[in-house]
Amino acid sequence: MLSWLRRKNTALSEVVTHFAKVPYPPPGSLVAQSNFLALDLELTGLNPRKDHIVSIGWVPVRAREIVLAEAKHYLISSPVSVGQSAVYHGLHDRQLQNAHDIAEVLTQLLTQYAGYVFVAHHSALDEQFLRVACQRCFGKAPRFRFVDTMKIEWQRLLRRGKVVKHDALKLGACLERHGLPAMPDHHALEDAYSSALLLLSELKPGGENMTLADLYLLSR
Amino acid sequence: MEIADVSNFLCDTTPFDQLSSAAVAGLSAHIKVYYYQTGDSVNINTERLLIVRTGIFTLYSDQQQLLTKLQSGDFYGYQQLLTGLTDNDTLQCEEDGLVYWLEADAFHQCRYQYKNIDIFFQRLFSRRLHQYREQQQSSRFTLKISDVVQQRKIAVRPEQTVQQAAKLMSDQRVSSLLVEEHDKLVGIVTDRDLRSRVLAQALPASTQVGQVMTRQPQSIERHAYLYEAVQQMSQHNIHHLPVIEQGICCGMLTATDVIRSQQDHPVYLIGEIHRQATVDGLERCSQQIANLAVTLSKQQVPAHEAGHIITTITDALTQRLIYLAQQQLGEPPCVFSWLAFGSQARMDQSLNADQDNALLLEKEPSGAVGDYFAQLADFVCQGLARCGITLCPGNIMASNAELRLSLKGWSGRFARWIATPTPDALLKASIFFDLRVIDGSRGLFNALQEDILQRTAQAPLFLYHLAQAALQRTAPLGFFKNFILEQDGKHKKGLDLKKRGISLITDLVRVYALSAGIYEVNTRRRLQQLAAQGVIDSKDSQNLNDAFDLLAQLRWEKHQHDLQQGHDVTNLLDPSEISGLARHQMKDSFAVINSAQASVKHRFCRDL
Repeated sequence: MLSWLRRKNTALSEVVTHFAKVPYPPPGSLVAQSNFLALDLELTGLNPRKDHIVSIGWVPVRAREIVLAEAKHYLISSPVSVGQSAVYHGLHDRQLQNAHDIAEVLTQLLTQYAGYVFVAHHSALDEQFLRVACQRCFGKAPRFRFVDTMKIEWQRLLRRGKVVKHDALKLGACLERHGLPAMPDHHALEDAYSSALLLLSELKPGGENMTLADLYLLSR
Repeated sequence: MEIADVSNFLCDTTPFDQLSSAAVAGLSAHIKVYYYQTGDSVNINTERLLIVRTGIFTLYSDQQQLLTKLQSGDFYGYQQLLTGLTDNDTLQCEEDGLVYWLEADAFHQCRYQYKNIDIFFQRLFSRRLHQYREQQQSSRFTLKISDVVQQRKIAVRPEQTVQQAAKLMSDQRVSSLLVEEHDKLVGIVTDRDLRSRVLAQALPASTQVGQVMTRQPQSIERHAYLYEAVQQMSQHNIHHLPVIEQGICCGMLTATDVIRSQQDHPVYLIGEIHRQATVDGLERCSQQIANLAVTLSKQQVPAHEAGHIITTITDALTQRLIYLAQQQLGEPPCVFSWLAFGSQARMDQSLNADQDNALLLEKEPSGAVGDYFAQLADFVCQGLARCGITLCPGNIMASNAELRLSLKGWSGRFARWIATPTPDALLKASIFFDLRVIDGSRGLFNALQEDILQRTAQAPLFLYHLAQAALQRTAPLGFFKNFILEQDGKHKKGLDLKKRGISLITDLVRVYALSAGIYEVNTRRRLQQLAAQGVIDSKDSQNLNDAFDLLAQLRWEKHQHDLQQGHDVTNLLDPSEISGLARHQMKDSFAVINSAQASVKHRFCRDL
């Protein structure tokens, strides 16, 4: 139960150190040539201090192509019961019995995708949970660079002079607005893939010369 | 790990729908997803297979000619992957969409591993429409007892007399009876039994059926295959088999039923037509046409053969009506030919065809001659209408006085169309240039046909206008939105297989045939002749033939579907009901039509 305390050693914190060492591409780099990792977490609740990651899904985007070969989905063994959150993500305690250790999955994420700009829909939440999880597993958390497809969409709608209702920014609503295939909500990999699709669509108006700096501006 | 949306899409897309879900998951791991925006041009020389997920993409040739439009479920790039050659086409995004790029290695591996997928792409590439028909369920090849047995049960009780049995047989016009006791089958009695076991034995008419019947007869289950019945009949040398359904006898299958159900069933119907002495009788015969069509379709008779058979029946009805008219009106005052135009002439009549006919007379249609043929034409046209071949809405019928002409009259009319063609007139007249003699003098008809063909072959202006008329309508480039969908009177929407497909081919083949003085009227035969005489390339001829067959097949199947559902028979096909493979085939057919129209334009519409 307190396994994360025991894991707090230097060998593990090197994962974070190594991740932090790989530089992010300079802001002037072209979006068309940058690497992204679209990612989504399913959670037991919304409080990073109390709640846990139930599952994680990701899929990389390179040269604006979603690479399905590297799509991953992991169920995470949780120290507490999934409880009522099962209503949303459909994952029940018994399915989580042969799930993965969070440290194992985070290690894979940090070693394989160092230098990638992470992409998520409403990324603040995912970022917080990732940081807390890293803190628990490795004793420290790296700085992630996130792009938020929800904020990009919000700015896009504002620029068009639209009144943005809360529901209009949900992933499903965004996909529909962009004419993208709708998918079952609340499955970490499907949602990660959806936000990758959404990112591709959102990048289009920027054209071939769009830089990462331009993208960060849109994602504020 | 697979993405549900990608796997689900592939599972629904021909030819990948033939793969197991594990194989699809394997395939999807080799896919990269890209998003295109309107106006983007797609880099197609990437050695990958492009699968359109959403959006619309337009393909242009290196001369910027619009070739085709790709939409969800369509492919590009297999051409290069199969041949290793690149071409200079350009693909442009017309409506924002997602594209799956499947890596070459995975594509090839999939082809090696799954023969059907290889065949699909090979054929998509070589555009051999007729070869990649969907695999038929084997059961559809074979008729079942329930498909052929008559739905009526004629039975007697064993204590009834043989005379009563014989009377029942005569009344019901059957050759055998079921013998039942308390609703249980105990035997059968046939007319042969009455002869050999009653008459020949000098038994009285009061003999009970139970004494002479065949006890515990062979029987067959209603859902058995017809060939099982044939086997049983020949094995036991019997001609009658009671049909059992869930232990209860429901009818009798006779050797005649079996023979009737075979391919030569139309022969029976035609024979029956020629035995009818009244229009009522013919009307009754014609009610069997729908059943015949169902049988033909169950036996997988190809549409063009079915069209031929249906036309033959219309011919027989016409001939018999002319005979009956003459019975009523007396001998004709002069020699005549009964002509058919349009689909009846081309022998590709469908189930919803209307009448297109006329009379060619030896003498001028004035006075008594005129009166006689007016009555004859009326009799025949009204008779045909009663037999389900509806009156022509355009009044192209022999009952129209303008269409009862002498050889001189017809020749003059054709000469006018040919010498001073106007696009409008030709649009209406083109149907007249497909003509065939149904009854009466063949010599008279031959004289007319020769006259026409001699004129058309040397009339570039006429051919120009005929070609223009043939090019007025074009085939759709794809199934997009609603713009290709026609509406019929009842606001049903659909793709008109005739107007937007079959007719286009018929029209352009007619232009070639008339230019080359070909006597054939049937579209397929015209194409063969055109290729044989070197008028058109044999590959083009084959492609047009395939496209024609495919569209005719789809229309035939649509008509069958309508009949089964009890709807009116229409040519409107709902694109959402088309299977993936048929969609690819149709698109290929449309592409064939478009390129053939371009050739016609090039050939007949220049230098004028």
